[in-house]
Amino acid sequence: MSATGQRIVTFLWTILWSSVLLYSPSPAQTTRGADIAVVVNADTPVTDLSLSEVRKVLLGERQYWSSKLPVVLLIRAPEARERDVVLRVIYQMSEAQFKQYWVAKIFRAEAVTPPRIVYSNDMQFELLTALPGSIAFVDSRNMRPGVKILRVDGHLPGEKEYPLR
Amino acid sequence: MRKRVPVLAIMFFAVSPAWAQSPPPPDQAEQIRILLERVQQLEKRVAELETKPTAAAGAAATAANVPAAAKPEMAEAAPPGPGHQHEMAERQAATEQMEVHYPSLQIRGFGDVDFSVTDEKGSTSGFNLGQLDLHLASALSRKVTYFGELTFNAHPTNYTVEVERSIIRYDYNDFFKLSFGRYHTPIGYWNTAFHHGAWLQTTISRPDFVKFGGTFIPVHFLGLWAEGNIPSGGAGLAYNFGVGNGRDSMISRPGDFGDINNNRAWVANLYSRPARLYGLQMGVSVYRDKITLPVVTPAGNEFREWISAAHIVWTKETPEFLAEFANVNHKSILTNAITNNQAYYVQIAYRLPWFEKTLKPYYRFEHTHTPLSEHVFANLDLVESIAGLRYDITNYASFKGEYRNTKRLPTEPRVNGAFFQTDFTF
Repeated sequence: MSATGQRIVTFLWTILWSSVLLYSPSPAQTTRGADIAVVVNADTPVTDLSLSEVRKVLLGERQYWSSKLPVVLLIRAPEARERDVVLRVIYQMSEAQFKQYWVAKIFRAEAVTPPRIVYSNDMQFELLTALPGSIAFVDSRNMRPGVKILRVDGHLPGEKEYPLR
Repeated sequence: MRKRVPVLAIMFFAVSPAWAQSPPPPDQAEQIRILLERVQQLEKRVAELETKPTAAAGAAATAANVPAAAKPEMAEAAPPGPGHQHEMAERQAATEQMEVHYPSLQIRGFGDVDFSVTDEKGSTSGFNLGQLDLHLASALSRKVTYFGELTFNAHPTNYTVEVERSIIRYDYNDFFKLSFGRYHTPIGYWNTAFHHGAWLQTTISRPDFVKFGGTFIPVHFLGLWAEGNIPSGGAGLAYNFGVGNGRDSMISRPGDFGDINNNRAWVANLYSRPARLYGLQMGVSVYRDKITLPVVTPAGNEFREWISAAHIVWTKETPEFLAEFANVNHKSILTNAITNNQAYYVQIAYRLPWFEKTLKPYYRFEHTHTPLSEHVFANLDLVESIAGLRYDITNYASFKGEYRNTKRLPTEPRVNGAFFQTDFTF
């Protein structure tokens, strides 16, 4: 085997053993509560997203609903339960990791702004109805008319298999 | 080395009080402000509801009905009553404040201060002011954005200012975004993940083969760039493709003033972020260029360069895992002689569950090999291990301490060093 081949093999072995040593399964998420609905502006051309598609939207990897309609991310301020569920289930990040993620995202020129922070349910619904392409996460007990509730993995809030709670 | 022990001891005791104290809750002031605002909003809402019992009863009934799974996904808007006019005016003002105005310039900065001590003969220990880095981001319209990055660098006799990145980008959609300017070349992972912000990276320094001012890969790239997602379902594929000037005659530079040999370089990067393995990214990159050196070597001064690279990273912090490999192939146009240079690193880290998850130990091994027959590069051989600890003082600042064991040429001794850094974003 050539020297180049040996170096590639060494590199791959190092990766393999590091992966084995570091493997740790994710802790089970057992906390259950009221469902958090994924809600969008009524004119948004989407009705159903998989959980991984919701994650792509929240990570800023999907930034357009269509070529003419950018995604506008709305997220509740810290301490709100909606935010806790979004961070735990979708981002799988702590509050600090979430902040660092968006600093890095903007620094990498992949996004211009972080999600917009909303401080109340009133404000959230007002923005949802006013801003085309907006998406927010709302406690399903506090729903209001004039917005569109998305199915996640084919389920609506209140159904047994709904993933955001 | 003995003379340096007291200095290290002083640094240790200077840092110790910070460890002894429990870290303050992150962003306490901001949280208090937010809570106060929420209290004010709720008080206002209660007062409004108390004066409008009929309207409140109607709203409550509507809200109670919506979450039922059997209800239609689209709820109809109820017409506002006359009593809501003042409230609606206030909400409209709040909405207008949240709307983006163009241009909307945002500035963020990164900085670091370092201390180093090594047992290398002739080296001096001491403090260094790291790069002061300013990042500018501005939306010019819904689909056009500008990004800029400037660094201020300390030198023995002065400071220099460098335009690291200057990019104007047009977004057509998620699948096609076209930009022009000066970039960090999308070869591998590190170069486009961490840029100049030391705070963003776990370790104090970048791997040797992607370091700024280095020659192994072209760190910067001037030209045009297309990027976007590739419709691929759960595979989460995305691409970057760029055409630009390629390396300057000083091969660590990207040819900011023009293409020295009238030969465009191109770079392509394909990566995957699988939906089922959130946190994983795998990718491959290729880069093609023609290099014209300012001096004629026995193999001439013109070479074809072909860089191929691969990376696999797990970006979650329990654990964090980064690995990259790059091969740089040079072919002399005069003699057809071929050389291959390889470099790789493997870095592992783990965010510990204690002390409010502020501690992250890490280890990195890196290796660079350049053959004796190489003419474009000077000898870049390196075998290095680093082990260190990152302590996040707040959400936006950290301390890092690192031990490095480095060996370059076979004839040179190993060098041991201790490095410390505090880095931050503001």
